[in-house]
Amino acid sequence: MKSIIIGGGKVGYNLLKTLKERGYDVTLVERDEDTCRRIADDINTDVICGDGTDIDVLKDAGIKKADIIAAVTGNDEENLVICQIAKKGFNISKSIARINNPKNIATFRALGVDRTVCSTAVIANLIEYEFDRDICKIVQTFDRGTMILVEVQVNENNHWLNSLVKDLNLPGECVLASILRNERVIFPRGDTQILLNDSIHIITNRSTFPEIKKLFHNGGVQYAKQKK
Amino acid sequence: MYIIIVGCGRLGSVLSMELSDAGHNIAVIDSDSKRLEALGNGFNGLSVKGIEYDSNVLREAGISRADYLLSLTSDDNLNIMVSLIAKDCFKVPRVIARVNEPSKKSVYELLFIETINPTELISYIIKSKIEGDRK
Repeated sequence: MKSIIIGGGKVGYNLLKTLKERGYDVTLVERDEDTCRRIADDINTDVICGDGTDIDVLKDAGIKKADIIAAVTGNDEENLVICQIAKKGFNISKSIARINNPKNIATFRALGVDRTVCSTAVIANLIEYEFDRDICKIVQTFDRGTMILVEVQVNENNHWLNSLVKDLNLPGECVLASILRNERVIFPRGDTQILLNDSIHIITNRSTFPEIKKLFHNGGVQYAKQKK
Repeated sequence: MYIIIVGCGRLGSVLSMELSDAGHNIAVIDSDSKRLEALGNGFNGLSVKGIEYDSNVLREAGISRADYLLSLTSDDNLNIMVSLIAKDCFKVPRVIARVNEPSKKSVYELLFIETINPTELISYIIKSKIEGDRK
């Protein structure tokens, strides 16, 4: 697999290292000469010093034969232009753009750059998750949030405690995927009873999440008060 | 005509004043408020400070009713991004961008963005002056 990484910052450097370890053929394009030299000394790979939004530089990097392009510079305009060149000029379907400002996610999608990773949003979400004292929280998102996995902690105030799965009043667009109980995975059926300290995993979508959250609103508040 | 000018540098500011004096409705966008202030009291169009490609900033500048959008910043990637958003997301009838780095012209062409290339124009004018003198 031939891949090109544009941007030799922290993200680009670590991506380069990982892909090399997995045996990929990787070329790095970076604008700053000193950074290029440092990376070339450290990793045995093709490093091209140049502007990644320049078609000739991308041709030098072998874009015609590339399977994957990762635009991971710290500049969103640059990443967008690189992905547009790859898509419209060289018909590369797998181009991935890093987005620095979460506000640009919608813009990138509207302009047809569909594979994006917003580093800022990912880190912010992880930190938020660690701080989240809610008994109902998102643990994983799929396809940038079209589908989400929600975790519900069952405490003594949770009104689901001791009820059977079939008696739960659930919104239409969600499904109970699993229950984690004492490090054992239970695949819930209608007659499964919900017990204290269960953690329930629910697959749903973003628009249904607030409804699910509302189910536990009072329970969550009481729980938070009790902890203080 | 309702014209949005993105980038209030030398070219953007001069053009804003001239088009505004000619009776057009002008909105200028720049991320640097000092450059917008430099337009002075003589400018009677709308000036909007903000990130040039931010949809909210573009909406504030009235992009939904714009007849023209001119992206004239000195950053080619920024011009390309703004032009694509104006063209594809907001369907502005005519979008024209300024080419800074002559080698980037091919990128604009690839993405079907109409351009003006000041470097090319100026060198053409100078060349024809010299050739005119020789005759």
